[in-house]
Amino acid sequence: MKSALAGLALLAALGLPFALSEFWIFIAIEVLAFALYAVSFNLLLGFGGMLSFGHAAFFGVGAYAVAILWKKAGLTMVLAFAAAPLVAALVAIVIGYLSVKRIGIYFAMLTFAFQMLLYTIALKAGWLTGGDDGITGLKPAGLLGDPVAYYFFALLLSAAAIYLIHRLVRSPFGYALQALKGNPARLQYVGVDVRRHRLATFVVAGAFAGLAGALFALSSGNVFPNWLNWTASATPIVMAVLGGIHSFLGPVVGAAVYVLLEVVISGKTEYWPLVMGCVILLLVLALPDGLSGLGQLLRRQFRGTGNG
Amino acid sequence: MAEPVLQVRGLSKQFGGLLALCDVNLQVERGEFRAIIGPNGAGKSTFFNTLSGWLKANAGRVLFEGRDITGHPPHRLTRGGIARTFQITSVFAGMSVLENVQVAILGYRGQTWRPWTPARTQHGELARELLERVGLAGEVGRQAGTLSHGDQKRLELAIALAGNPRLLLLDEPTAGMTARERLESIHLVHRIAGELGLTVVFTEHDMAVVFAVASHISVLHQGRLLAEGTPEAVRANPEVQQVYLGEAVIESEQRT
Ligand SMILES: Nc1ncnc2c1ncn2[C@@H]1O[C@H](COP(=O)(O)OP(=O)(O)OP(=O)(O)O)[C@@H](O)[C@H]1O
Ligand SMILES: [Mg+2]
Repeated sequence: MKSALAGLALLAALGLPFALSEFWIFIAIEVLAFALYAVSFNLLLGFGGMLSFGHAAFFGVGAYAVAILWKKAGLTMVLAFAAAPLVAALVAIVIGYLSVKRIGIYFAMLTFAFQMLLYTIALKAGWLTGGDDGITGLKPAGLLGDPVAYYFFALLLSAAAIYLIHRLVRSPFGYALQALKGNPARLQYVGVDVRRHRLATFVVAGAFAGLAGALFALSSGNVFPNWLNWTASATPIVMAVLGGIHSFLGPVVGAAVYVLLEVVISGKTEYWPLVMGCVILLLVLALPDGLSGLGQLLRRQFRGTGNG
Repeated sequence: MAEPVLQVRGLSKQFGGLLALCDVNLQVERGEFRAIIGPNGAGKSTFFNTLSGWLKANAGRVLFEGRDITGHPPHRLTRGGIARTFQITSVFAGMSVLENVQVAILGYRGQTWRPWTPARTQHGELARELLERVGLAGEVGRQAGTLSHGDQKRLELAIALAGNPRLLLLDEPTAGMTARERLESIHLVHRIAGELGLTVVFTEHDMAVVFAVASHISVLHQGRLLAEGTPEAVRANPEVQQVYLGEAVIESEQRT
């Protein structure tokens, strides 16, 4: 049932660009990138029980990596793009090594602090990062310069990455992660090195966030320091919670709804952050399990009235 | 003579100003069913936690089968052949009973690094066998957190057995059970340990349980080892009678 739904969504995604204007194709690419970003975040929160408040570090590093390696270091665009998730993974090894020793709010604060450090570097190291102005001119030339082609490129990578994460959470590693989330003490006493599993999860999540960042950078054509700011770390949290952190594809739904809401509301009023905040607040209050909890809720409702 | 399974030499543990363990020496031979008894706060759990790598000892050494394992982290110790359970029942509440045992088997074997194969296909049969052994064959699909307290204790036992340990440390395996369940459950452990040739060290408050199965008893009192020996010898020890057994009689009267 669930995989049938996911298959249908994928089919729809394949036909989508032929029905959309160029503007909406860009929005669809944004949804794809942020869906991967939110899923990578939820690997940490929903499956690993680790609330990172600095996940934007890896999205931002992925974006800056492709920009710097391509535009400043002179690599080809493809190589720079392929290197972006690896650079994000390396940064995640360092940040993760220093952060996963702590749990709960201390872990959140450490990830937050490291991300702000990177934000500061992006602002101040102008020779490398372009400072305030960021790096622009990142539109791919050639085939990928065509929005429809880039859409399929993003769809392929995002779907493949999300599938890999799906395999991971169902694998022995994922079982250990699920056990770790609920009872790390017990898990150590079945022979699992809890800290190394936390670190590995953090690095995988970081690498995929880096991929998402690189995907989005080449679509928008630029990268700005703001992508590394703390508000950017709130985005995947809101997306995941909005869609439902207990469902694997919940964050995908959350990302789509979030991006679409932002587009629609910001076109109508300059107070869109306020309106957006209110809408999200209402949704979260009404649906504690996120939008993906809605299906279950409806089913129960129907069954309830059917019996009564 | 064969190497003792467990040797504890001069183990001490301090919490701030409180000396929770003071120069504890203990030796457990293969196949023993050793009870550690002592009133509340005697240091039994601290003893378990220190020798199983959860707490760092202030002084002393721990040897397992002759090898020094002092200060080894829990996961390493566990892979080496020591399994433990907790005074407060500790299972993976959100996972199914079967998954609990599967993840334990995967952990002991170092297979939790596999990122691709579906985990539900792993070690299902072995996990079922273990669950059958502890009497949970009918509950494999249940969510572990919804099991009764006694069944969670059984599940914890299955989790502990999943790694083929040679030494089993059980901190109050019968805590929170009725008198009848307590005896039943300790007899189950005793039978399985006999079948598998395990050495068991356990703590227990209920004297009926202790004397029903223990091959040897060590008595802890205020962090010190007060007496040690066969059940008969310990029962006859006047010092033990004074500080512990008298108290226990009162205690069990209060409980009932
Ligand atoms: N983490 C800790 N920090 C500070 N003091 C502790 C800690 N753990 C135990 N203690 C203290 O050490 C002493 C021994 O406690 P322990 O839990 O080992 O006793 P016990 O024999 O297991 O008791 P019980 O029969 O109630 O389980 C107690 O005075 C206790 O308050
Ligand atoms: Mg205790």
